[in-house]
Formats: sequence, structure tokens, C-alpha cells
Amino acid sequence: MLSAYTDFIRIRFLTMLAYRVNYYSGILIYMLNIGVYYFTWQAIYGGRGEIGGFTASQMTTYIAVSWMARAFYFNNLDREIANDIRDGSIAIQFIRPYNYLFVKMMQGFGEGLFRFSLFMIPGMLLALLLFPVRLPSDPIAWIGFLVMLFFSFLINSQLNILTGLMAFFVENNEGIMRMKRVIVDLFSGLVIPISLFPVWLGTIMQWLPFQAITYLPGSVFTGRTQGTGILDVFGIQVAWFVGLLIPIFLMWRAARKRLFVQGG
Amino acid sequence: MKAIEVEHLSKTFKVQKNRDGLKGALRDLFSRQYNEVAAVNDISFSIPAGEICGYIGENGAGKSTTIKMLTGILVPTSGKLNVGGYVPHEEREKFVRNIGVVFGQRSQLWWDIGVIESFGLLRKVYGVPEHDYKKRLDELVQRLDLGELLNRPVRKLSLGQRMRCELVAALLHNPSIVFLDEPTIGLDIIVKTEIREFLKDMNRDHGTTILLTTHDLQDIEALCSRVIMLDEGRIIYDGGLDTLKSRWGQGTRVTFQFGTACPLPRLQTLTSDLPVSWTAENDLHAEVLVPGELNVSDVLARVVGQTDIAITDIKITETTTDEIVRQIYRTGSAVNGSKGEGGLTSYA
Amino acid sequence: MYYIGLVFEYLKNYMKTRLTYRADFWVEVISDLLMQASNLIFIFVVFGHTDSLGGWSESEVVFVYGFYMVPFGLFSCFVNLWNFSDRYIVKGEMDRILTRPAYNLFQIFLENIDPPGLLGSVIGILIMVVSGSQLDLDFTWWFIPVLILFTICAAMIYTGIYITLTSLSFYSDSPTGIIPLMYNIQNYGRYPVTIYNRAIQFLLTWILPFAFVGVYPASLFLGRDEMLHMAWLTPLMAVIFLTIGIVSWNVGVKKYRGAGS
Repeated sequence: MLSAYTDFIRIRFLTMLAYRVNYYSGILIYMLNIGVYYFTWQAIYGGRGEIGGFTASQMTTYIAVSWMARAFYFNNLDREIANDIRDGSIAIQFIRPYNYLFVKMMQGFGEGLFRFSLFMIPGMLLALLLFPVRLPSDPIAWIGFLVMLFFSFLINSQLNILTGLMAFFVENNEGIMRMKRVIVDLFSGLVIPISLFPVWLGTIMQWLPFQAITYLPGSVFTGRTQGTGILDVFGIQVAWFVGLLIPIFLMWRAARKRLFVQGG
Repeated sequence: MKAIEVEHLSKTFKVQKNRDGLKGALRDLFSRQYNEVAAVNDISFSIPAGEICGYIGENGAGKSTTIKMLTGILVPTSGKLNVGGYVPHEEREKFVRNIGVVFGQRSQLWWDIGVIESFGLLRKVYGVPEHDYKKRLDELVQRLDLGELLNRPVRKLSLGQRMRCELVAALLHNPSIVFLDEPTIGLDIIVKTEIREFLKDMNRDHGTTILLTTHDLQDIEALCSRVIMLDEGRIIYDGGLDTLKSRWGQGTRVTFQFGTACPLPRLQTLTSDLPVSWTAENDLHAEVLVPGELNVSDVLARVVGQTDIAITDIKITETTTDEIVRQIYRTGSAVNGSKGEGGLTSYA
Repeated sequence: MYYIGLVFEYLKNYMKTRLTYRADFWVEVISDLLMQASNLIFIFVVFGHTDSLGGWSESEVVFVYGFYMVPFGLFSCFVNLWNFSDRYIVKGEMDRILTRPAYNLFQIFLENIDPPGLLGSVIGILIMVVSGSQLDLDFTWWFIPVLILFTICAAMIYTGIYITLTSLSFYSDSPTGIIPLMYNIQNYGRYPVTIYNRAIQFLLTWILPFAFVGVYPASLFLGRDEMLHMAWLTPLMAVIFLTIGIVSWNVGVKKYRGAGS
């Protein structure tokens, strides 16, 4: 059974490889994003030393690592699930001897592996060449970051699954999916680090799962969070990962009921 | 006048070669290899106006590719074609005003709203004058018995109802040439018959030229005077349905059931001067194959006339088009018929 | 005339379809608005920490954003190519489009028409008015015709860029992954491009000319003389990029392979 699931990882990895145009343009566009935000922040900093606890050089590193982390954790599970629901093929998934959501998660992981090894690492090397990015010297920061990056992927995929499953309950969840994408980019700290938000907004963000996707691992990588602080922020991630399983479970149950009662 | 003229038409596709495994896939990322596949390979034919022509072949034989070139969807790799006075892909927008297309597997109707709304939209798209549209729609609705369906959204129609609506949608602008790609696929026998009748009437009343692809040879038998058969992108037969039958048909099969044992050699000697072939499972059961040019009664007379042979049952079966076509598909290309006949002689 | 008639006909059908799914309509409108709001949040947060961005004040940047929303609303109402590859190439609906006697790209635009997009344009104008009054901009009569001209030109630039990119799907790989990313890039056109280094400025001006859908034309209303000549280049860029788009589209259609066998 397990090998069937690992097969989903492998197949997705190979599928991703098949799209060449996407691959090359993807790397290019990620670099462009880093570049634009790098210069925007340069302009914002002007001669200033520190904004929201970030020095200009920390900001550069933060931007680069955040975008490259996004290159890894990003996937379209929401869209895939919504499409399965809308065209009715989800019904077939229910009669197959596996858990649909788990399969989706595995496919997401296969995509993640591809993105990690062929997007994020080459992208990061390129970013190192182009921008004054400073890598952490502390091995703990590296280990902490990599472990947390994996949880970024998990949490982001969980949110995608939740958004995708909405298609069971509204006829067209295109709008919701677009909204989710924008919200995750903004509130995860990708475009603006959370510490720069006005205090009230920052407080709200502390109670939402989005910061666990980009901001927390980014803080570890830039060295703003160190030592036992790493364990604290990692704790937040784990808590969200576990916490998000509950709505997924409830929604999945409601979805099954809906499917069986209404026949899709 | 020719409605469709095709000369040396070819279409090749570049198909990406995928290398095996992870290493292969990684190499594909940097350099890619392609194969050229000829979907349609140097075909020529012409169809006079007012004819119903069947276009048959196995899956992947190139039927749809041909139809898509004839309707202007695909640009041919080489060759000349002329449909209704136009080169389809060159003057597509002008050309398509004169043709109607139905893809059995795909809908051209708006999914969520009443069928009549889709018709209204198509009227505008094809620029059909209000008066003509009304007349034509009434005629079609009456003929296909769509009255109460018109206000229903497509998603609430059965497949048969939908297909009848698809036909109306394709014919509202009264096209002179109609392409039907598997118009009866998935339909029940009653709807199939209805649609065939309708097409036949349309051809008779309006002189519409029809080219249809199908896997259901009943469609061909009911509608077509002419068949073009395709295999691996080449035409392997082009001609009348009757000729097809007489050329590849294995004639008539007569099955005997005997009351007492009747060995095969005995039967063979009885008909030794006739070009027939016998087969027998046992002494009580034998089959004889009578070629088309021979009279079945001649053969029967030889056997029935014998007092020592007790016949309990005789069954006479004509080879169906299905069998003929299956035979041709199985033996592969049958360009000049030699191979098809080879199939026949192997029987003897 | 024929094509204008078609616009109304398709709009009619759009409304009828929409009336069947009323609830979703509002979900989509609200999500669109939130998306715009999130962009404004970025501007406000940034100016919470600085007074000027490359010599541009907060109100000026907000004004540019307001302008940017106007042509984008127009564009997203009439041009929706998000699902093109999936719907028309993979699922083969392009076959149907090509057997109809209207320009194929136009049919695709009409089938995906999305009037709620225009709401963004309305909000954009409101933002321009509010931030313009904060800036004490002198409202003169020529603002309106020039705004209309630049709006149309900017929408043409969007259309040109996106149809060029979408036409790639006629060749090989689906470029579905590129379009959402492009969405990020187009956002950069609404910040003063002078803050970027030369390479990125060049890119946003001449290759993916998103500066022409935001900061360049808007600078004319703000009276920022350093970009004046760029602002007046907008119509020329519009013609060039729309032409490139349509030509590459038409070439792409010739390469269309159809779906299935």
C-alpha cells in the first residue's frame, strides 16, 4: 500500500519534469520577483538602518529566501481538487482503495521534491550570484530552516486542500481560490515581513496560520530567531499543522455526506 | 459539381519522445527528441455535391484528423484541398458559414442555459436573418420533435435529446456541407434510427452533402452509398458499399445439422465442381461458404437431393458489413484487394 | 457592427448563466475586491515606514495604483485567458471555436466575458479622485479624454502581452504556470519604475511593458515631467504590443494540433 503512495510522488515528479517552458520561465520569473522586491526595499530603506527590526541586508536575504521557499511549497492542489469535484471525477476517487486527500498530499509532495531540487536550489544559487544574500553560518539555523520549510509545505498544502474542497459547497470556487492565493502571499509575510505590519494587523496575524508558511522559517534563516527561539516558532508550525487537520477532517466528512446524498 | 476535393493530403505531427525513468526525464528537460507521425498520409478523394459518404477506420486511423483538416481546424502539412469552393484553413471564417459540424463527443451548446438561447446566439454568430431562422428552427424542431426541450438547460438533457439539439445547432444556418464526427456514439437504438432518418431526409430535401465518421456500421448501411475506409492514415478502400460487400464479403454461409453422421469428404465430393469451401466440427455439423457470385440454391440442391443424408436443420447467413470490416481491419491494409482475397482463400 | 452585436448577444447569455448561480457571483465580486484591497495594504504598510518611495509620495503612489486599476478592470472584463490552455486546448473546445464564422480570438474573449471586472475600474477611479484631491491636483478638462485614451491603450498592452503568452500553448508545453506568475510581474508597473535597476526598468518598459499600464501614463496626470515623454509613448506601445500579440496568436492557431485523435 505504501509503495502505491510513493508511486504518486514519483509520477508527479516526472510529470513536472515534462513541462519545459514552465520550468525555465519559472526560474526566470522567480528571479525577477526577487529583483523587483529587492530594489523596492532598497528604495524604501534609502539610508535608513532598520525597518521593523530588519536591517537592509537582512531584508535582502529574507526576500530571496522567502521567494525561493515559495518556489518549493507552492502547488495547485486547490485547483486540482476543485477540478476533480467540478467534473465529477471525485466520485471515482471515492471508490478507489486509497484516501483521496492523502494521494493529493503525496502528489503535492512529488511536486515539492521537484520544486526543491530543480527550482529552489538552482534558484537560490542564482540569487546568491545576483543579489547580496547572506547565508547563515550557524548549522542550527540551516537545520531549523529546512525542517520548518517542510512544515511550510505541509501547512500551505493543507490550506490548498481546504480551499479546493470548498468546491463541494459552492458551484464555483474560482474566486475563493484566487483570494486564497493573494492572502497567502500577503499575510504569510512573502511581500511584507509581518513585523512591518501596523501593530493591530500584526497582532491578528499572530493568530492566523499564514505566518507559519513564510515568515517564521524566514526569520530563522535570517538569524532573527535563534537558539531556543527556533523551537518556539517551530512549535507554532506544528500546532498549526495539527490544528488544520481538524477542519480538513470535518470538511471531508461533510463532503462525503453531500456526495452520497446528492450524488455529486 | 464536387463538394469536397482532396489531393495528396497529408498531416504529420511531431510527437515528443519521452525517455524512460528519472534520468531520461531529466535529460528531456535539457534536450528533447521528437518523432514524426503521419496521421494522414497522402490521401486523395472527391465527393460530389449531394452525396452521403461514410468515413470509417479503426481508432487512430486518421479519420478525425481528416475531418479537422476539411473543416479548417487543422492546417495540412501538404496537399491540396477544396471544400465547397474554399480552401478551409485559408479563408476559415468565410468558409465555415457554408458548413455544419457536429462532434459527437463534444457539445457546442451553452451548458447552463436553455437550448434556445444557444440557438439564438448561433443565429447571431452565423448572421442568419430573423425570418430564415424562424422558419428553419420551426422545421427542425418539428422534425426532431424538440418542442418542449427548447427551454431546458443542456445539462438537464439526456444524451439523445442533447444530440438532437446539437444537430439543430449545426444546421440552423442551412449549410450545404455537413461533417458529422461520430454522431450516434453512445445513443440508444431508437435515437440512432431517428437521427439516421433525419439525415437521410435532409440529404434528399436539401441536397446536403454529408461526410460522417462512425464506428457503427449500421449508420453506414442506413445512410451511405459510398464508403471511404482508412487505415494508418491511408485510404484502403473507396467505393460503393455494395462493391465492398461483394469484394470482401465472404458470400453466404450455410450451416447444416445432420441427423446421421455425414463425413466431410462426402460433402466435398458432392460439390467438387463448385468453388465452395466446407468446414466441419464433427460428422453431424458442417458449414459451407458460398461465394457471392454463386447461387446458394445450386449448392443446396447438391446436398438436399441426397437420400442418404438426413438433414435436421439448415441455417443461411449473409456476412454482415461488420464482419467484412473486421476482416479488413484484421488483415491490415487491403489497398488493391489482394490481401483481402488472401484472407478468403485461406479459408479454402 | 457584426462584432458589436455579438458582444451584446454573449453578454445576454452571460447574464442568464449568472442568474442561475447568484451566490457565486457575489463570492467572486468580493474576492476580487479583497484582492485589490490587499494590494493597497502593501502600499499603506510601506508608507507606514517611509515618506517617499524613490521620490514619490504616498498619495502619488496610491494615485498611480488607482489609475492602474482602471485599464486592468477593463482588461479583466473582456480578456480572460486563465483557463485557455486547459479548456480550449486540452479539452478541445478550440475545435468548436474554429468552425464558427467569427474571429476565433474574439469568440474566446466573448465566451469568457466577465463584467464584474469593471467594478475594479470604478474603484480605481474613486481612488484616483480621493488621492488626487489629497494631492491638490488641478482637474482640467483634458483629463477625461486622456484618461479614456490611456485606459484603452493600457488594456491593449495587457491584451497584447497575455495573448502572446497564451499563444505559446499552441506549441508544446502548457504555459499555465507562467500566467499567474506574470500576474505578479504586472503589479510592478504601478510603482515608480525609477527605483529599479536598469535591467528591470528596461524589462518593464520594453519587453513586458507593464510600466505602460501604470506609472508612465499616470504620471501625466500627476504632472511629473520626468516621465512625460514616456506617458505619450503609451498609444504607440499599445499598437505595437497588440500587433505582436495578434500575429503570434494567428501563427499559433495555424500550429494548433487539435485534441485527441
